[in-house]
Amino acid sequence: MTTFDSKYDMYPTGDVGIVEGEMNIPGRGGVPSGDSMEFNTLDEPIKETFLRDLRAVGNKFYHVLIPREKSSLLKEWDLWGPLLLCTLMATILQGAERVNDIKDGGPEFAQVFVLVWIGAAVVTLNSKLLGGNISFFQSVCVLGYCLLPIAMSLIICRIILFSTQTTFLFFLRFAISMTGFLWATYAATKFLGDSQPEGKKALAVYPICLFYFILSWLVVSRSNV
Amino acid sequence: MTNVNTGELLNFQDYSPEHNDRSARIDVEAVHSNPYNNTMSTTSYNYEEPKMTQEPEAVPQSNHNFWTIEYYQKYFDVQTSEVVERIISSVLPQKVSRNYFDERIKGKPDMYGPIWISVTLIFTIAVSGNIADYLQNANKPIPWRYDFHLVSYAATAIMSYVWIVPLALWAALKWTTVSDGQDEIETQTSRTPSMISLFCLYGYSLSIYIPVAILWTIQISWLQWLFVLMAAFVSGAVLIFWLLPALKNTKYFIILAGSILAFHFLLAAGFMLYFFHAPSKPEIIPIITTPKV
Repeated sequence: MTTFDSKYDMYPTGDVGIVEGEMNIPGRGGVPSGDSMEFNTLDEPIKETFLRDLRAVGNKFYHVLIPREKSSLLKEWDLWGPLLLCTLMATILQGAERVNDIKDGGPEFAQVFVLVWIGAAVVTLNSKLLGGNISFFQSVCVLGYCLLPIAMSLIICRIILFSTQTTFLFFLRFAISMTGFLWATYAATKFLGDSQPEGKKALAVYPICLFYFILSWLVVSRSNV
Repeated sequence: MTNVNTGELLNFQDYSPEHNDRSARIDVEAVHSNPYNNTMSTTSYNYEEPKMTQEPEAVPQSNHNFWTIEYYQKYFDVQTSEVVERIISSVLPQKVSRNYFDERIKGKPDMYGPIWISVTLIFTIAVSGNIADYLQNANKPIPWRYDFHLVSYAATAIMSYVWIVPLALWAALKWTTVSDGQDEIETQTSRTPSMISLFCLYGYSLSIYIPVAILWTIQISWLQWLFVLMAAFVSGAVLIFWLLPALKNTKYFIILAGSILAFHFLLAAGFMLYFFHAPSKPEIIPIITTPKV
């Protein structure tokens, strides 16, 4: 009992100044004035609401393509971009209908979909388990948005596939998807790399590489229009 | 009693931290001089203060709930250099010291290596299995298509191997270990490796199959078999070598060691035959498929 009493007594003498200093820090007053437009969305036409969200998604895509500053993607996460990219990739990558009973080994729509989301979740879980200081959905958001280079290489490869296939065109598709893979890995590493302690950075980056490599492999292997 | 003590303590708090040592010393002297006068409060205050700050840091690290991420973080507490070192020592038997398993892995087993080595192996086998399939069918008129479903087969095989075999081995070691009679319980429990460390060991022992799976794409039959034997022998030898202290205590040393090697060889041979090996008579397949069309 006596020790507790003494602990209570000792705080006011030494720490008063620090407590007063911290009272001013919480920035509750700054938030409504900066984002006041967020609170007045009831009256605006739905087109504006839609376009504003679209612009935010587009802005994030831009930052993935040119990964210079990382705060924009990490600050406000959303999963619209990942959902768009994932649906696009799954639609293009899914196996064609069986023609003449020839086995088509392409993945199903759901398989690509699950691969992307479970893969992103597992990679994120890995970085959380390694002790990285990043929230779950922030990391999933970044990983999803960084699919953009791979999705772009998929679209280019799909266009190439319309012409008659030669060995040169295969290597062209290979080079394009490898570029997409390197680009995506570079962007994701840039955004997520700093969240890990120094000795574990490679351990966190390797699963990201593996994740994008598998998706790039699917892009290369997609053949036969 | 309490009022007097707090008053004294408040006076002590007015000193700067440099004077704390001197005040503590004065208290000790006071204890010696008159033990019945406020001895408990002052001494206990001066010595309990560091304890109160240390205990909350030490306790939560060991007692995390099973369902929280923090509980599993202890299995991922490895540095990059440690993982590289473990992979290298699981591939090169001459670099392994006899007690490596006991000293390093059993004390601090990690799940990072096993999980990601397994995942890497699954996709390496799927990708290079497709390349092998392409090389086998390169000269045929039928257009070749890749098979995504190899991923599922490889995942099933590897995940079941990595989980079931260590579990069986752990059970076997646990229930067949002979007690020497004079051994105490503590040394006995430390001698049989834990479930997690066996899982860790088996995960790392798969790492040699990743380069081998790439090499299996070379479509030369005797070379493929050579790789099977080599990979199974090397990583099987490491497994036996590391588990030797635990295996020596069991009644069925030969059976256990033999079955460890046999399963390892079966896994390698199964991979090679199913994913990479061309059938010896390739003409049969078109004959069967054409009547169906």
